Amino acid sequence: MSAVPALWSKLEAPRRPGRSASPRSWRPAAPAGLALLWLTGGAALSQQGGPAVYVASQEAGTVARVDPGASAAGPALFVGPGPAGLAAGPDGTLYLTHPDHGTVTAVEARTGRVLRRLRVRGQPFGIAVSPDGTELFVGDWQAGTVSRLAAESGLVEAIVGIGREPAALVLDRAGRLFVAERGSDAVGVLDARTLTRRASVPVGWAPFALALSPAQDRLYVANVRSNDLTVIDTSSLKPLATVPSGRSPYGVAASPDGRLLLVSNQESGSVSVLDAGDLTLRERIGVGRYPEGIAVAGAHAYVANWFSADVSVIDLATLRETARLPVAEGPRAIVAIPAEMPP
Amino acid sequence: MRPTLPTLLLALAATAALAHGPTPQKIDQSITIAASPEAVWDMLGPFDRIADWHPDVARSEGSGGNQEGATRRVTLRAGGTLAEGLDEWKPEARTYSYRMSDPDLTALPVSSYSATITVTPEGGGAKVAWIGRFYRGDTGNEPAEALSDEAGKAAMNRYFADGLRGLKAKVEGVATR
Repeated sequence: MSAVPALWSKLEAPRRPGRSASPRSWRPAAPAGLALLWLTGGAALSQQGGPAVYVASQEAGTVARVDPGASAAGPALFVGPGPAGLAAGPDGTLYLTHPDHGTVTAVEARTGRVLRRLRVRGQPFGIAVSPDGTELFVGDWQAGTVSRLAAESGLVEAIVGIGREPAALVLDRAGRLFVAERGSDAVGVLDARTLTRRASVPVGWAPFALALSPAQDRLYVANVRSNDLTVIDTSSLKPLATVPSGRSPYGVAASPDGRLLLVSNQESGSVSVLDAGDLTLRERIGVGRYPEGIAVAGAHAYVANWFSADVSVIDLATLRETARLPVAEGPRAIVAIPAEMPP
Repeated sequence: MRPTLPTLLLALAATAALAHGPTPQKIDQSITIAASPEAVWDMLGPFDRIADWHPDVARSEGSGGNQEGATRRVTLRAGGTLAEGLDEWKPEARTYSYRMSDPDLTALPVSSYSATITVTPEGGGAKVAWIGRFYRGDTGNEPAEALSDEAGKAAMNRYFADGLRGLKAKVEGVATR
């Protein structure tokens, strides 16, 4: 048992100078059993390949894997307190932001092993990973900035001021970074290489979540306070349409064939399924309470239900909820990994 | 010298406008009431009538009735005013949802919240669930104790619990009269 505190002190993020320990600072709060799971490797997040989703529980400080068709989520593995943002690198590394603690944690998805912790200034929230996995883009919620960091060392390579309360960050294949500026009612468009601002696209009230169409010709923006979805043409960078969703849309995803849009409506406890072509409502599916992040893997969509602490599984063929899998307290962010990467 | 709470509140008042932090907190309370769901909803339902049943509320002034977008200003006995907007009101399901319009840290030390209150049948009586989500009073990473997640949780839980107890007392009193 003595190994656990020792490991924690090693993993602990460096404290700010002169700051005493407070309830908000890092401490070895991991239940010993959970900590041991990753120490021994006895309960990996994943045992086999294939597509999967990973869900981060902010209140519990854990991440869990959900396999398609599984009757239960995988074990909840402690990654550090308060994980909010979640992104996956091409090698199967998960990156989680801890806004209250100024850190980013790198986790090996296959095993759930914490690889390293990066100290990040401010309140890191939204996160995206470069296609080659060497760089991270991290939004600072409080400061209204986006930084580009070296994924290995956490070294800041560039930083730029953007709109207020940067929420979701999404990279496209053309090297552009889209940022949902929740407090500025806009989507900022940055050149990911130079980290300079190319455009600002006005959207609805309080944009939070973003998703690109598979062809990347459209960017979908979920506006929490105006209860709608803005569709942006990514070549002209102009809003094409605004369509109503349910109340407080907090998540958006496109189906792999690009024909369906799925929007999680936090206050309605539902997922709206829209036809991506004519933007009409195809179905309204009841899910858990306060749904937020939504991700698609294979033939299913997965929805993180923050209040009810579970993940709704939606069959994309029938547009029905087929399962509701309990996870640890506070699930918000969810990410799909198309197929398992080699170790 | 440590800044006093009023000083902190004044300093924050200029910047606290509907700040959403990165870390939401949950409130989840319920109570059973020995009365029909209809009787409970009759007391609970009118959005601008919260002063009729919530013991912490001195008065409530509404505008817009029970329509989506209606507002109410809820003045607390302990001081401070909650400005709230109605998001949804469904009498057939005996539920309504609302959110904070403007923060008042002297009323509740939180920067924003949304909540839903619902009446369902339970045994021969009714169950009232009052759930919500809020962000601490200072959404930065160095909040004063009075504006922390813990302070927000304590205040919101107390406000919800007081309200449910008051509702129960009011309805059961009426029902047995």
